[in-house]
Amino acid sequence: MPRETEISVNERAFIQQALQENLRLDGRAFDAFRPLELTFGDEYGVADVQLGKTRVIARISVDVAVPPPERKFDGIFQIIAEFSPMASPAFEVGRPSDAEMVLSRILEKAIRRSNALDTESLCIIAGLKCFALRADVHIIDHDGGLVDASCIAVMAALQHFRRPDVVVEGEKATILSVREREPIPLSILHQPLCVSFSYFEDGEIFLIDANLSEEQVRNAEIIVTMNKHGEVCQIAKYGGATVDPLALLNCTNVALQKVKEMSKIIQGKLEADAKKRDAGGLMAELSAENER
Amino acid sequence: MSDLMTVVLPGDDVPPDDLPKAQNKKKALKLGPGLRHIPPETITTTIAGALVTDARKNAAWIEYNSGRVSALPSAPISVQPIVILDHVCHSRPRQAVPSGGSIGTQLTLQQYLASVGDLVIATVLSSTSEHFNCYITPHTHTAALPHLAFEGANRKNQKKLPPHSLVYARIVNSGKDSIPEITCVDASTGKGEGLGPLNGGMVFKISLSMARRLLAGRKGGVSVLEGLSEKMGFEVAIGRNGMLWVDAGSVKATLAVGRAVQEADEQGLGEKGQKKAVDRALKKI
Repeated sequence: MPRETEISVNERAFIQQALQENLRLDGRAFDAFRPLELTFGDEYGVADVQLGKTRVIARISVDVAVPPPERKFDGIFQIIAEFSPMASPAFEVGRPSDAEMVLSRILEKAIRRSNALDTESLCIIAGLKCFALRADVHIIDHDGGLVDASCIAVMAALQHFRRPDVVVEGEKATILSVREREPIPLSILHQPLCVSFSYFEDGEIFLIDANLSEEQVRNAEIIVTMNKHGEVCQIAKYGGATVDPLALLNCTNVALQKVKEMSKIIQGKLEADAKKRDAGGLMAELSAENER
Repeated sequence: MSDLMTVVLPGDDVPPDDLPKAQNKKKALKLGPGLRHIPPETITTTIAGALVTDARKNAAWIEYNSGRVSALPSAPISVQPIVILDHVCHSRPRQAVPSGGSIGTQLTLQQYLASVGDLVIATVLSSTSEHFNCYITPHTHTAALPHLAFEGANRKNQKKLPPHSLVYARIVNSGKDSIPEITCVDASTGKGEGLGPLNGGMVFKISLSMARRLLAGRKGGVSVLEGLSEKMGFEVAIGRNGMLWVDAGSVKATLAVGRAVQEADEQGLGEKGQKKAVDRALKKI
């Protein structure tokens, strides 16, 4: 079974020594993200996120399905995150590693269970038909920080996605194609984003957005998910040395600041993309979206 | 070496005029990385890059760097010949597409393929009774480094290397169907000659062509290390498998050297750009 090759003893010692001298390998500050690049595809709901050398593509697709009987008024929303051998030879299809489990669990907790997407708006006819939304996360290149990058990708893709409009007459629902009616954006209730803190020296040093070699040296990580209003959606810490509660509190403060910055970048990119699509300024007239 | 550079794309037929003219008709034309011989006398490219020829060696190859065309020529270290007599090729397709050698090394974009005589930085994985299992590139078969292949090592006095330590070694044997064998000692003199375990320092990943150019010395056209060495002292080891080990005493200085080389590599800096990178690196220390 392939697995991530361990970092050499020289690199491990050097990275630890450098951190004690307040230096990171790429010259970043301890609380700095790598340059974030976000591009949208030609289709709605495709977001390509590059965080340094890490690259993640999220794609949203929609289908019509029968809602589960216990949740008649809800649509279906699934996030599927799988590592492919394309990102790293250490990944194997069909045999999820721990990191893969952590990624899908965190995305599940951060986005789905924090109700970032209003699933009730995906209902077409209660108990009979609903939209089944699916977010596929593809890891294209792996250089650490997969959780942060995937979360940005999914949230950006969800905000970018437009679902087809639907006309309901009694028990008959007609999905209107893009040519008939301009598709409708999803109703997003809030925008949670993840910030992962890697800590070293038993919680003395905290790093934001560690790259792969720093991830291999760290004690453990804390993943904080927040929205830009300062609401913490989840905090995850899987094993590792104990951390001072005050340090954790400090993490949430730093995370809030980072989340605000990233939300701003995503919003800016979304607006730029909308502007590009709005040729001739006719989008407002085409829109079939209900004023809320 | 011709000054004129032809940019080629994969699948292009190389016109005979672009190939070097042999002064000695008996000398076979050597095809280097990125070129393929299709009998009887077609030569096509398998990768995008610049066609470089060397009339003296009667060799031609494609110069490129991980998808980016590199403008700096340097000779391939080992090429397997195809024989062309009076420009009528005898069909020897097996030799025209060799699996090993620097040809194979260059054709894959990121992955290094072991070739005899190359200097590499290997990572020790485990130790058996006879040899250390090392990997030259991650996720591939391990290479064997005999316990006795160190300077001054004998049955009684053997080196102990913990797992994940680094060694600077030379490849002595690499077959298609066998695991590569590496050594840290020159078999004829019994001396290490700079090879052996690497202690301290830091490893920086560089592209395969950068490693080749660094090892080629002045011909490679990389002056970063020379420029830095005028102002500061440091130790380096360059592995053909795309690794650069640097030890400059302090963390800051080591980082400055490694980053300067990586910068020159990633941005494809020319002579002037490299000088600027050196100045910037020196300022940081």
